[in-house]
Amino acid sequence: MADGAMAQLPLPTSLAEVEALIRALYQPNPPETISKIQDVLHRLQRSPEGWQLAQSLIAHREDNIRFYAALTLIIKLNRDSAGLGEDDARGLLESIIGWTIQSLVDGAANFVTKKLCSALVTYFMHFSHLWPNCIRHFIYCLDLGRGAPVESLDDALQTDILVGKLDRRKLNVAIWFATTLVEEVGKTDMTAPKFIQVHGRLVKNASDAACLLARGFEPPADNPELKTQGEALSCFQAWILYAQRASPNPELVGQLRQLVSPAINCFADESLFQATAELFSDVLANYSAFFTDEHYNALASLFESPWAAEHYQRLLHGNHHEDGIAFGLLMLAYGDAKVQDLMHNTDRRSQQFLESLSGLLAADGYLVGEDTIFVPALEFWSTFIETMIDTTYSDEEAAQTWKPYAEQHLKAVVMNCWRKIQWPPAETFAEWDSTERVAFGDARKDVTDMLQSVFTLEGLSLVSFFVGLFLQALAAQSWPELEASAFCLGALSDCISDDAKYDHELSKVFASPFFDLLGQAHGPIPLRLRQTGLALIERYCEYFERNSQFLPNALNLLFAAVGDSVLGGPSARSISTLCSSCRSILTGEAAAFIRHYQSIRSSQVLDSLAEERIVLSIASIIQAIKDEDQRLGMFEELYNFLKNDFELAVQLKANPSLLNLQHPDFLRGLDPPNPQSVPPVEEIALQIALRSMRCLASMAKGMQDVKEHPIDLDSEPQSHHANSRLAGLQENIMRVLVEVQRVFNASGEAVEIICNIFRAGFSETEPGPFVFPPDVVTDYFVQQRFETPRIGTLLSTACSFVGSLYRGPKVYVPAQLARLLPWVISILQALPEPEADTEVSLNGISFVDKVMSKYPEAVFHPAHHSLVEFFFLFSLKVLDGKEPLPKGAAAEFWANFISLKPSSLSSPSENNIQQTLSAAMSHLGPLLARSLVSNISGHAARSELDKLSEPLKKLVTTQVEAQGWLQQALLDDSLFGAGAAERVGREEREMFLRRVVGLRGARATNQVVREFWMACRGSNFSYAS
Amino acid sequence: MSLCQNRLQEERKQWRKDHPFGFYARPQKNAQGVLDLKVWECGIPGKEKTIWEGGLFKLIVTFPDGKFVPPLFHPNVYPSGTVCLSILNEEEAWKPAITIKQILLGVQDLLNDPNPESPAQAEAYNMFKKDRAQYERRIKQIVRENAAP
Repeated sequence: MADGAMAQLPLPTSLAEVEALIRALYQPNPPETISKIQDVLHRLQRSPEGWQLAQSLIAHREDNIRFYAALTLIIKLNRDSAGLGEDDARGLLESIIGWTIQSLVDGAANFVTKKLCSALVTYFMHFSHLWPNCIRHFIYCLDLGRGAPVESLDDALQTDILVGKLDRRKLNVAIWFATTLVEEVGKTDMTAPKFIQVHGRLVKNASDAACLLARGFEPPADNPELKTQGEALSCFQAWILYAQRASPNPELVGQLRQLVSPAINCFADESLFQATAELFSDVLANYSAFFTDEHYNALASLFESPWAAEHYQRLLHGNHHEDGIAFGLLMLAYGDAKVQDLMHNTDRRSQQFLESLSGLLAADGYLVGEDTIFVPALEFWSTFIETMIDTTYSDEEAAQTWKPYAEQHLKAVVMNCWRKIQWPPAETFAEWDSTERVAFGDARKDVTDMLQSVFTLEGLSLVSFFVGLFLQALAAQSWPELEASAFCLGALSDCISDDAKYDHELSKVFASPFFDLLGQAHGPIPLRLRQTGLALIERYCEYFERNSQFLPNALNLLFAAVGDSVLGGPSARSISTLCSSCRSILTGEAAAFIRHYQSIRSSQVLDSLAEERIVLSIASIIQAIKDEDQRLGMFEELYNFLKNDFELAVQLKANPSLLNLQHPDFLRGLDPPNPQSVPPVEEIALQIALRSMRCLASMAKGMQDVKEHPIDLDSEPQSHHANSRLAGLQENIMRVLVEVQRVFNASGEAVEIICNIFRAGFSETEPGPFVFPPDVVTDYFVQQRFETPRIGTLLSTACSFVGSLYRGPKVYVPAQLARLLPWVISILQALPEPEADTEVSLNGISFVDKVMSKYPEAVFHPAHHSLVEFFFLFSLKVLDGKEPLPKGAAAEFWANFISLKPSSLSSPSENNIQQTLSAAMSHLGPLLARSLVSNISGHAARSELDKLSEPLKKLVTTQVEAQGWLQQALLDDSLFGAGAAERVGREEREMFLRRVVGLRGARATNQVVREFWMACRGSNFSYAS
Repeated sequence: MSLCQNRLQEERKQWRKDHPFGFYARPQKNAQGVLDLKVWECGIPGKEKTIWEGGLFKLIVTFPDGKFVPPLFHPNVYPSGTVCLSILNEEEAWKPAITIKQILLGVQDLLNDPNPESPAQAEAYNMFKKDRAQYERRIKQIVRENAAP
């Protein structure tokens, strides 16, 4: 406080000083000066002298000072109204009205008079009971030219007569007041006791407001400079908004509705057009029930007038940036509000209106930079089409006479959209800024959506329509039209590609000479059209599956585009989609595709992602080759490219002088492809290796079988070495992987990719190059150390491996688990503390859990005794810790461990295990109970409670001693969170235990746990309930 | 039409009127081609000037949950791809009043600004915490695989 006071300015001692401060406030000054001035003025405003200050300055000749005085009044009213007696309040009202009128007489700036109007509104909010007929009384005083007592209103003339007597300036002030009044009261909560009566009194003023506005809407006969319609429109809009909030209030709405016709008349005045159109668009969009049939008719007639025709033409052929699109938005808002009627009514008026709405999709200029009405118009039509769909499906029995009419409009809509989405010439597009380009793309997407909806109604005929346009445009070599047709056909692919009944139509497109043109490297087809053409092939992948005669041609086209910097990425994606789903048709092409790949590789460096996709595509075709020898032969051919890369990478690492950046094989190691400076040789070597490893992982993915095969868990194991060629390949791959990892031993990415390669094999049930024998996989894992990069990911891969072992023949499992379990626990032992690496802790715990749930004998084997003991204590520490993921896994592990039952034990040494378990439980049970109590008494996060409740529930249902363990723990204050031991007494703790035990593991335990936790955390909670 | 459907219909309208650049969101269609307003297919672009820039990530929103398809490498995305929209606003959780636009903008923010208090997958969370350079390389790779068209 003392410091703050030092910095404050002293309170002014004279009015002149105050005035100087206010002047300084509105002059350019450094922010700290301004804030000091504001501070001292605030103190003054809040002081008991504030009223007097306002009064002294309110008649000042300077507007700023006068404004500040009005502001002071508002602040005083808001802060100190309670201190005013009723007489003082009455007097104050007369004064403020007087000052307001005086400001008008003095010719003060509008912002001063408006601020005084706001002060009056603030007065009403606090003293509405003293000023119930505020609008009428204010008008009365304006007419008198001074503030008058409220009681004198009894003898006053009727409001309409009073309003009629006001000159335009006074009328304007009255409208300002009526606007601010409804806006400010509208901001308060209608249901709050404090404001209910204020709202009630406001509504009683509506008839006076309507009276006032009726005059406000009349054009001034005397002085056209003093128009009040603009203010009247704003005021009207504010009252309608309020009426909507207050609805239902038929009386209020009734009074306001009388003003619609005078408001419509404002359209005719060009200077008011914009504001009028906004008012009507707004109400149509948000409160369409406000208007009656009569109003809608009036608007419809308006749309038929020559005036509207002129606006409409300007919208279609004018400049949207200069003229605006308010008229179009008004039409659309009307259309939206009456969409049901417009759709159902087949009369001339409705049909013509719809026609003009579809015409809005055909304005001059390009989307969206020039033509700004298209997108909102498309939005209307999307609503229209959805309405058609809803109606079509909901009353199928009805005659639906409207439908042919509506469909006629759809034709125009579709045609207009097709024209609109055509690309501009490249040089025009180049001039657009990024916003315009994105907006153009978005508009095309909106058209896609709309076309899919139209398809729901029109089906095949829509497809035929675009096929027709496509062929016409092709014959005419009209590329933008051809592109748009191909784009629209692409848009329908989601709806039709899996249904053969459209193939006949599509074949007209795919058999057309277009695709020959597309294949010509320097042919006439512009880039955009090539892109769309190639995308069309990808989108109709399922069509090519059914019509394989077109497939090789399509793939050749795509392969030809792979090297292109723009088309390469999408083409490679298309190739992988097509090859993966049409693999069995394409097996004969495998050799040709490998040659394609070879020739691309030898001539250029592909984008690495595109290359991965190509490799994946070829591998998926190879996978479908039935003859094993042929399959492995092809596989080897493809694999050898990658093997050579690995060898090159290893050699380069050992001998950097080999680097030759003229050769594509070395250029593969540059990522990004054109770096500013050449990276170190080691980095290049690493990138060559990683790139090819990613390709190898793609091969592994491609080689995955897409068909399902039955599995027999009890079957004899197939010999994994039945085919020596396969075995040789696997050995080779494994050797390469290990070697690459050894040479690039700091690379986490290398390890990650190896894990991905393994995982691709784990899900397979048939033998394959990546389906390694379990021993080989285990050998690999157990050689990894804690220091190996991405060791956590290796552990998670080991979990997947166990999952895949469980899905295969049982006979393999125990031997692998016996080797993997000690390895996993040894990694956990290497952690400096349990939370040092969440990924390791989580996956380590999940691994043991997974093993224990199916093969407990592997865990409780005497040979693992000390490891398992370590693990139990480790997982308890994790349970006490703060890392949510391993903690969740530990909770799950304990829940499973506690509920291990002899019956779930399948080993012959069941008895031994049972004894081990019992011994372990009697030792661990109390520790677990302590950990759970510590968590539940406030240490856990709220989101962990459900998971922690599981072991608790299992404990009370399966362990007879559980109650004792928990009781012991609950009595130990040191386990409780900060302050929890004081907040939750002995009785509550016992009550908690009784409830938990009584619930016997039922779901409701979670709620009891949550309540106890909340009590310990000290939230407002009564435990007695 | 139920109240919920009405709300979602309005939501769709609002989205069409006003949606942030680069995003898309549309209700999925059921077998008859009629819209199912409870399930939305959305695209979230990576934010400009972040490592996520240039990517477009597909999120299926089934009110009130979101699921990245395919699952996304991110500390707050579960291995299944699920992202709890409640973490966008821990205090208030999901309210019907939250619009799809707010949800998607929230998820977009979350991409580059993970919430380390709510880890959902160990791999991304661990890498984010322990090896930021590797994490960023990985994200760049993911962005390339999910490049915006």
